[in-house]
Amino acid sequence: MTWRFWSNVLAVAYKETRVLRNDPAVMAMMLIQPVIMVLLFGGALSYKPRNVPWAVLDRDGTALSRRFVESVGRTEYFVPPQPVYSYREGERLLARGAVLAFVVVPETFERDAARGHARVQLLLDGSEPLSAARIGGVVSAVASTFRAEPATAPVRAGPIDVRQRFRFNPTLTDRLFYLAALAGILLTNLCMSGTSLGLVGERENGTYEQMLSLPTSSIEIVLGKLLPIVVICYVVLALATILAGVIFGFWPRGSFLLLCVVALPFVLASLAIGVLVSTVAHTSAQAVFITVFCIMPSFILSGIMLPYALMPHPIREIGGILPLRWFQIASRRIVGRGTGVVDVLGPMAILVLIFAVLLVLIRWRMKPRLG
Amino acid sequence: MTWRRLRTLIIREVRATFRDPFTVTILIAVPIVALMLFGFVMTTEVKGLELGVHDAAGTAASRRLVADLAAQGTFVPRPFATRDALERAIGSGRLTAAIVIPPDFDRGLEAFRRGGPPPEIEVVYDAAETVLAGNAEGYLRAIVETTATSLVADPGTTRRPGVEVATRTLFNPKLDGTAYMVSGVYGFVLSFLTVLITAVSIVGERAAGTFEQLQVTPATSLEILLGKLLPLGAVFAFDVLLMALIAGFGIGVWPQGSLLFFLAVSAVYVLISLAIGLLISATSRSAAEAVQRSVLFSIPLVQLSGFVVPVRNMPEWLQWVTTIFPATHYITVSRAIYLRGEGPLTLWPQILFIVAGGVVLITYAARKIEQRA
Repeated sequence: MTWRFWSNVLAVAYKETRVLRNDPAVMAMMLIQPVIMVLLFGGALSYKPRNVPWAVLDRDGTALSRRFVESVGRTEYFVPPQPVYSYREGERLLARGAVLAFVVVPETFERDAARGHARVQLLLDGSEPLSAARIGGVVSAVASTFRAEPATAPVRAGPIDVRQRFRFNPTLTDRLFYLAALAGILLTNLCMSGTSLGLVGERENGTYEQMLSLPTSSIEIVLGKLLPIVVICYVVLALATILAGVIFGFWPRGSFLLLCVVALPFVLASLAIGVLVSTVAHTSAQAVFITVFCIMPSFILSGIMLPYALMPHPIREIGGILPLRWFQIASRRIVGRGTGVVDVLGPMAILVLIFAVLLVLIRWRMKPRLG
Repeated sequence: MTWRRLRTLIIREVRATFRDPFTVTILIAVPIVALMLFGFVMTTEVKGLELGVHDAAGTAASRRLVADLAAQGTFVPRPFATRDALERAIGSGRLTAAIVIPPDFDRGLEAFRRGGPPPEIEVVYDAAETVLAGNAEGYLRAIVETTATSLVADPGTTRRPGVEVATRTLFNPKLDGTAYMVSGVYGFVLSFLTVLITAVSIVGERAAGTFEQLQVTPATSLEILLGKLLPLGAVFAFDVLLMALIAGFGIGVWPQGSLLFFLAVSAVYVLISLAIGLLISATSRSAAEAVQRSVLFSIPLVQLSGFVVPVRNMPEWLQWVTTIFPATHYITVSRAIYLRGEGPLTLWPQILFIVAGGVVLITYAARKIEQRA
């Protein structure tokens, strides 16, 4: 009985593999998507402000004020400043979105510095909150360490010396943040759209009924259809890891094998969501619609794109039921921090739990359809 | 082209759309859900973040520092008895930030008052959570600095080193991410949902054979095309209005600039989405294929258009690539109107690009459809 069960599953899987091999869309998903995503997340997307346009109104015009402006500009965030000659002009540039920051050095800057009261004004365009917050911090940091005296005089630091250490990512590059969770994005795309498309398409063409009339049970058909996708998932996982390593020199810090183990309950849970969608949708177009609109928010809500810990509460809880949320945690621990088995047991247990709940839901949804 | 035939086709299309509850649900639910989800997720404010504390000093001054860090709800301190335990919590990703206060903290402060070197505290971040670590850093440093100054406060000296920065933030003083994301969601919905719906609706018609049926009627292909696009365009324009009202009444985000101007620009942008949907439908055989194409095409487009990550932060060659996408310009314009209240005087280059792109794409799509017909 068990032998027949598996032989049926393998037979369906074999048939499915032959079909997939001729499907250009699947091949594109498999081969092109990892490349695009690795390049996109590794090279293109970054929250760290760069090439920031800024304007300077230097009313003092002394050597000291020029040195101050220079030391702000020397940080890696800015393009060369645009000099302006009136306050209004600078405000107009801000209002047009032409500059993000506007530094005003008062006439008394040098004199004030000699008395220990130097101050400048910084106007920020808050319409880009993340960049504005960072730029404000950068300028303040430069200003607080700026000294009017030449560098030979001993610099007296603030009352508490804060020694900062950024573990795992000393330069705070966003690339590492994304690439450590990239597998989650790729596998979600693949599993959810692959399954729901495959199953609904079969029903549309009437081939599903044909298979049901064979001595295969519905569960055998579903498993047989999912098996090749699981294999593809591991191929994509390996491909993405190698690409990130070769192109950006970012190899997993922990064990790749462990990542593969954690990926299994995640892949199964994502596939289960796909199956569930296929039981709801009537046409393949509807199926893809539903999956697409599940996939897009899940990238945001799971903490892949933005820090989960900063999201407001009811939204955070929605993210908590997504498998991607927990795989993302495990993946970042293994790939980004190099932790061992113990630290990923928790997320893994939750993934298994989500999978179990989904299985129950699927059994409940599938029954009336096959009756 | 006669108005009567066109009107018949439009009525037919409207009826067909409203008979399909799935499409109607999608058209209304997706914009609302997108607004609600994306509107609240981006924030620069650090609130309630767990902060590991290993206070080896345990004196009044060190406790004061920890209390100040917890004061505004920015950090929630969690004591760690040993340094090892703290490092382990950071290393396993359970903790994003931690502070270590040395046993000789008070002596260091005393020494500083007498002109010696300042005491050192150590702050450790889990930078694998890059964005979070970056945000937390700014908050933590500012709080430590304030506390430190008051701890060693000496009314005798008013001299302080460095330059004080008086920061004023225009347009969005609280640096709240909601308005930023809300104004971007329009670009997301209009470049994604509309392209999908248009493509599916046309391909579906072709697959069902009703497209051919229309072509044997006296209606010209231009009429058939307009009969499909006008109702769809009207629905999408309605979506924009719906979103603007929900964002205003539900979330409290109204455009700083003119709402009418924003709606006008959006209407032009809707034309572009329709054209892209047409193009995809012209090259796909089945509805499923059309959807897959639009997804494969839309995901990088949405990511690169500056919806979440500013285009400016990208490598330079890529910035050039993104200027080809109308979505990039549309998102720029909607943010400028929503957040800075800009008008047509400063936004005309982007608008010109959107209009030109619309004309080119529509003409090209119409040609393509004609060839197939």
